[in-house]
Parts: sequence; structure tokens; C-alpha cells
Amino acid sequence: MADLLRSVIDIISIIAIPLILTAFLGWGVVKKVKVYEVFVEGAKDGFNVAVRIIPYLVGMLVAIGIFRASGAMDVLTSVLAPVTGLIGMPAETLPMALMRPLSGSGSLGIMTELMKVHGPDSFIGVLASTMYGSTETTFYVLAVYFGAVNIRNTRHALPAGLIADVFGMLGAVVIARVLFGL
Amino acid sequence: MLNYVWISLVVIGILVAAGNDITDEFTNPYRNGIPLEGIIQIDGTPAPGMKSIEGELRIPAGAFTAFYGLAEGQEVRQSVRIVPRNDGSSVITIPVGETTPGFWRGMANYGANKDRLMGTVRVMSISESRATVTFVLDPVRFVKLRAVTQGAFDAAAGAVAIAFGLIGIMALWLGVMKVAEESGAVRIVTRLLTPLTRRLFPEVPPDHPAVGAMIMNVSANMLGLSNAATPFGLKAMEELNKLNPKIGTATNAMCTFLTINTAGLVIIPATAIAVRAAAGSVNPGIIIGTSIFGAACATVAGLIAVKLLQRLPRFRKDDPGLGEKEVARG
Repeated sequence: MADLLRSVIDIISIIAIPLILTAFLGWGVVKKVKVYEVFVEGAKDGFNVAVRIIPYLVGMLVAIGIFRASGAMDVLTSVLAPVTGLIGMPAETLPMALMRPLSGSGSLGIMTELMKVHGPDSFIGVLASTMYGSTETTFYVLAVYFGAVNIRNTRHALPAGLIADVFGMLGAVVIARVLFGL
Repeated sequence: MLNYVWISLVVIGILVAAGNDITDEFTNPYRNGIPLEGIIQIDGTPAPGMKSIEGELRIPAGAFTAFYGLAEGQEVRQSVRIVPRNDGSSVITIPVGETTPGFWRGMANYGANKDRLMGTVRVMSISESRATVTFVLDPVRFVKLRAVTQGAFDAAAGAVAIAFGLIGIMALWLGVMKVAEESGAVRIVTRLLTPLTRRLFPEVPPDHPAVGAMIMNVSANMLGLSNAATPFGLKAMEELNKLNPKIGTATNAMCTFLTINTAGLVIIPATAIAVRAAAGSVNPGIIIGTSIFGAACATVAGLIAVKLLQRLPRFRKDDPGLGEKEVARG
């Protein structure tokens, strides 16, 4: 069962891109679009967009870099641990929940470490990987997407994104407890 | 809101780092100024009057862990070099390698020379090919503030690397997207999902190219094709910005779209599964269902939040979709 699932996932991840390319470009040929000319026309924006997001990305990643390097995460963890303990969230997974919206590579590192220490099939291992899959790196997404169109006043996007993160983490704890809980 | 969070991350980071370093000044976890004793097995036989010696430093596990207050550790066996200074004292140099204790490796990392630890020899007595030595390592200070500086510089350089890494993949998918637009393929996808998108993005005309790009972005994200999803998403933002009368301010549609994005609904969380498989899980895919549940919670909560928050006066007053008069009335 597990092997079947994995081979299905492998196959999807291998064929998805060639399939999409064939479908879109092929349909363009069917509809008599001058595919190469149009492709190049669209592709020339790639550079500008990438360069435009640099200041936004630098600002966001530097702030997060300072926060992570300072050890503030440990302070925050010890303050919040008694609260999250009440809902049955192991204290070991709290750094994961806090890091997930801030940094993709940081939370990947925490998840890997938790699995190494507690085992991937332990409750903590399952919960950590569920948390990783339960939300996206909110700060990164906001910096890149708003940066691409030079939006500086982001209005309610951040609070809404963080509320989504909180409920994603709560959802992960609840479902992991119900299905794999002790 | 982002202004406050951003400055909080920076200020809290620096304050906590300074606090940690001040605490270290009192607790002295790196034992600055306190002498440590060890035995050096000298390479070869030392000639009388020989100036510098090289050999293997040995410190028993118990002595080392007790000195630094560590929970566990092994016997130190580490190559060292002792060289006399002009003023009669001697310098001990400990090159950092694979056999170096983790704690010392960390200390070297905080110092000026990342590849070695330096110190001053207090007492040394040589008999045959063994030397008993007492030394004080150079002080390690302001560890966290150094780390903060390094973290800031690394992040700034890393951000540019990320942006440049996006150029090629952006160009590829923006090109494909343009072909899909011209051929009408995007419009077909868009029309299928109109009932849903009209409700989520009432401000965006249902056949607008922004809708197509948003659908492609969310679909690519769901399939775990994140490097295709970002170009589609940025294309969607550009299209949404064409409907934006107020340059530099996010519209309701943009906030809703980004909330869906940050909630990150994925059918197959490929990264987490890969890490689990690498860690030797008997069933790496077991988290697919739980992840979908978690991300669904995030998505629903996020959408409810974004729709409620856009009505709050503090966010409503900047809404580009409202004229000045409407704001006054509302």
C-alpha cells in the first residue's frame, strides 16, 4: 500500500511538467498560435519580475534572519509552551509551528531534526511533518508576490495569512491527535 | 500591519541577542579567563631548548564536560601546537577538525578565526615526550550579536540569490502562460471555475486574465509544482494590479488570493514525504490526509478572516476599490 502510494506520487511528479508543457503548447499549435514568437514575448518579463522583488525579499529575509539568529525563537517557545501544552501540542513541535510562516528552509531543518531525534513515525514526527504540509511560508509569499507589483501597503493580507497559519497548526494538532494520538 | 511586524522582528531580534550576550557575561558559559589542564603527547622527541612543540592534546571526558558544564562528551584527543612569543609566554593553537569536540567547534565559529581556537599557556612542564599544560583560551564574547550581524548579511545575499534563481524558471512559465492565453486554453479553465471565482473575487470580472492565472497558480500549488506556481502567481498579481486604481496599495482581491496562497493547500506534500522517507519511515505517505486536513483548516479560516478583516475601518480606509465618498459614507 505504502509502496503503491509512493510510486503513484513519483509518477505524478515526473509526468506533470511534460504533460502541462505538451498540453498548453500543443493546444497553441492546434489554435494556430505562433508559439515560439508568443513564448518569447511572454518570457521576456521573467527578468524584470525577478529583479523587482529583490528589495522586498531583502527587507523581509533580513528581518527574519536577525530574529532567527538572536535566539528569540527560544524565548518565544518557552513563553508559549504552557499555553500550547493545554491543547495537547508537544513542546518539541512548538518551534516548528512558530518557524513555519517565517522560513521555509528553517522549518524544513526543524522537521528533519525532529524526525532524526524522535523517529518519523513517532507522534512528534507525524505531527511535525503534518505541520510542514499544513501551511505555506507566509512572509516569503507576501514579500515575493506583493514585491512583484510594487505593493507596499499590504493592508489585511498579513493578519489574514497569520490567522490561516494559526488554524493550520491547530488543525494539524487536532487531526494528528485524533488519528495517531496517545 | 506589516510595518509593525517587520520592525518588531528586527528590534526584538537585536534586544534578545543583546540580552543573551549580557547573560553570558555573568554565567560565562565559555569559561573565559579560566584555565584548563591537559596532557600533550608530543610528536617525536623534543630536543632540549626546542622552541615550539606539536602533538596530541588529551583531556579526560569527565574533566572536559565538568569544565564546560556539558551533559555528555567524549575524551578530547586533538592536535595542538604551542609556539613561544617574544615576551616569554607561549601561544596554544587548536586547529578545528573532525576530531574537535562539538563545543569547541561552536566556540571557534564565534571567533575571529573560524578554523582554529587560540589561547595562552599558563604553565607547562615537559618530561620525555609528554607535556602537562595549563592554558586559557581567548575569550568568546557577544556570540548572539555577532550571529545577528552575520544572519542579516547572509539573508541579504541569500535574497538576491533567490531572486536571480527565479529568472530562468519565471521566463519559462511566463512564456508558456502567454501561449496558453493566446490559444484560449486559459479561458476554458477560467470558465469552468467561474461559479467559485465570482464569489471569492467579486471585484474581478470573471473572464479577466487574472482569474486564469490565479487558477493556474492554485492548481500548480496543489499538485506540488511550486516552481511553476510562483510564476503563475506573479502573473496573476500583475493582472490584478491592472485593475488597481491605487498604485502601491493592495486590493481586496490581492489579499484574498494571497491568503489562499499562504494557506498552502497541497494534495501531495512532496517535501514532507521525501524527508520522512529519507528518515526511514515505514509509511511516509501517512501524512497526506492529515496535511490536507490542516491546510483545509488554514484555507477556510484564512478566507473567513480575509473577508471579515476587509470590512474593518482601519483596512477599509485604504481600500483601492472604494472612492473617497464611499469611504466617508461607509
